[in-house]
Amino acid sequence: MNLHLPSRAGLWCAAALSAAVLGFGSAAFSAEPEKAHPTTNSSGALLPRDSKDAAVFRGGLVYANYCVTCHGINADGNGRAARLHNPRPANLRGSDKNDAYIGLIVRKGGESLGRSAGMPPWAEELTDEQIGDVVAFVRSVNAQSQSR
Amino acid sequence: MKTLNLVGTLAVALVCGAAFASQEHVVAQKDKAFSTKKLDIKVGDKVAFRNDDGFSHNIFSLTDAMPFDLGTYAGGQLKTVTFNKAGKFEIECAIHPDMRMVINVAP
Repeated sequence: MNLHLPSRAGLWCAAALSAAVLGFGSAAFSAEPEKAHPTTNSSGALLPRDSKDAAVFRGGLVYANYCVTCHGINADGNGRAARLHNPRPANLRGSDKNDAYIGLIVRKGGESLGRSAGMPPWAEELTDEQIGDVVAFVRSVNAQSQSR
Repeated sequence: MKTLNLVGTLAVALVCGAAFASQEHVVAQKDKAFSTKKLDIKVGDKVAFRNDDGFSHNIFSLTDAMPFDLGTYAGGQLKTVTFNKAGKFEIECAIHPDMRMVINVAP
């Protein structure tokens, strides 16, 4: 079998690119004052660390490292490991769950919420900030959020 | 004489059985790494994936011949896979993407 595994750098670039496409068009021109520990977006513009855009950017990196295998680069539940799971991984673009629920299922895993045990509990691996960031990223790609 | 024949037959069966018996291998997960990067086994062998870390792992393989997912399991537990197909199996952890190893299963 020829198992093609995309490089981590490639995934990060893809996540950064998608984050940039989805959320950073206006960030570079944000009027929000600069904070003490800014981060940068893909074009090098500074983002306040506590801003939503920075959280989405960081969350994209977390997503590309930990979530993409099952949920896919498009967050539609079609990652390369999706075929191992029944039910399939959630289509995060179409999720109707709020941030608190998404944060909870990331933290505690699917089984604790009566859903698929295929979704691991990530609280041991991810920091609170990383979980908050990945929730922000999921929110940013969610179709229902964008239609509001 | 009958007794001797029976004993002889049993002895041959035991020797042959031992020669062809499947083996069980143990691959530990410690400090977010597999205990070995490469393992050569034969069809029918079992591999126990033992979690020696203080946190969970989720071992899986997407190899077409025999994809599997052991699910999330905590430290101190182990899960066993019987490799009934020959081939090269790339083994990963869903929680720790840097964990990779290869199991070559000979016919």
